[in-house]
Amino acid sequence: MAEIWTVFRKEWRGEMRSRHGIFTAGLFSLLAVVAIAFASYGQKPSGTILAGMLCITLLFASVMALPRTFLVEDEQGTFDLLRLISEPQPVFVGKTLYNLTQMLVTGFVLAILLIGFAGLQVTVVWLYILALVAECMALAGAVSLCGALAIGAANRWILAAVLSVPLLLPQVAMGVGAFRAALGEGTIAGGTQNVLGLLGFGVAALALGPVLAASVWKTE
Amino acid sequence: MSLTGIISVVLTASNLGRKFGSRWVFRHVAFEVGLGDVLVVLGRNGSGKSTLLRLLSGLLSPSEGSVGRPRGAHHRVLGYVGLDLALYPNLTAREHLEIASELRGVPPRAETLLERVGLSAAADRLTGEYSTGMRARLKLALAIQPEPAILLLDEPTASLDDAGREIVRSVIDEQTGRGCVIIATNDAHDRRYATHELTIDG
Repeated sequence: MAEIWTVFRKEWRGEMRSRHGIFTAGLFSLLAVVAIAFASYGQKPSGTILAGMLCITLLFASVMALPRTFLVEDEQGTFDLLRLISEPQPVFVGKTLYNLTQMLVTGFVLAILLIGFAGLQVTVVWLYILALVAECMALAGAVSLCGALAIGAANRWILAAVLSVPLLLPQVAMGVGAFRAALGEGTIAGGTQNVLGLLGFGVAALALGPVLAASVWKTE
Repeated sequence: MSLTGIISVVLTASNLGRKFGSRWVFRHVAFEVGLGDVLVVLGRNGSGKSTLLRLLSGLLSPSEGSVGRPRGAHHRVLGYVGLDLALYPNLTAREHLEIASELRGVPPRAETLLERVGLSAAADRLTGEYSTGMRARLKLALAIQPEPAILLLDEPTASLDDAGREIVRSVIDEQTGRGCVIIATNDAHDRRYATHELTIDG
């Protein structure tokens, strides 16, 4: 547990000094909200459209910022150092928890901006918050798995991008279903099911990711 | 390739070989290194010295053969200094040592190690601002932090000044008291540390 916290703190400290991930995700979210606000000026977009836009924006914010947590280790040559000083499991969990934190910050900022500037009206607040947390968990888990699998590969960015399609697509579909229900255009039961699906994926990624990392990053 | 001398064993390489694509870098490398030994690996550029050290460190898998190391977590048993090993540019030297100690589960000894490698005055500077020589010193401090049984040094004096070379010498002296040292080098001066030599001719 202490090792996981150490990895988390390392990531956080590095991010606070470079601000690359937060800057990328924040700027993208802001641009997305501005674009949505302009596109829907004078109209009232349906809950389904807004749910889709929210999920797509979250998806791109995560894809742009998060795999970097893993892949940058390889690019700057520090992956070997990490393998020499640590077991893979705490590295994976620490980095995934850091990704989740960053995703939650981005998600909540984005959700508030959409309410403020794009006319998003939440009908079921608890479901909206739950869907946001679950979507962030699932996306953080999925991109962490992509990053962990692609690290060390010759064409790591291409591999991460290819892996992200089958891993992220179901999370987006479930996210849209959950947000639609929270915005009043679907049943609460259906929305809750989607939330449970997202949470299940997030927990599975966090639980099984360390096993994957241990076999992929094996030190002889 | 040749190896002179036989020793009480800390590390063994059995029929070790590595290929990239279809090209063998080396094959049939076998030796044993024991307590107090300093094995100097020699060879021209591209002969596979660094590859051999990466195999011994576990960072690279052998294409054939095996490496035998002492039991225990590799990150506490082994210290490695490589030219290709990078540091976190956004972290200070002190933070590197603290993080490494927490992950390894060993005492940090940050002050002692920083003083040992002559980085006390620069301990709180980001390593992105370090010179190549300063980075080499910090890598050495990280390698010896767990007081490993095996210390692997790839071109340890390549970017160091005279004071740095003296630090490497004292580290090697100290290491022979608790384990073994394997040095890959092109520098003829480094041969003076050798108790045994291995020449790889690729």
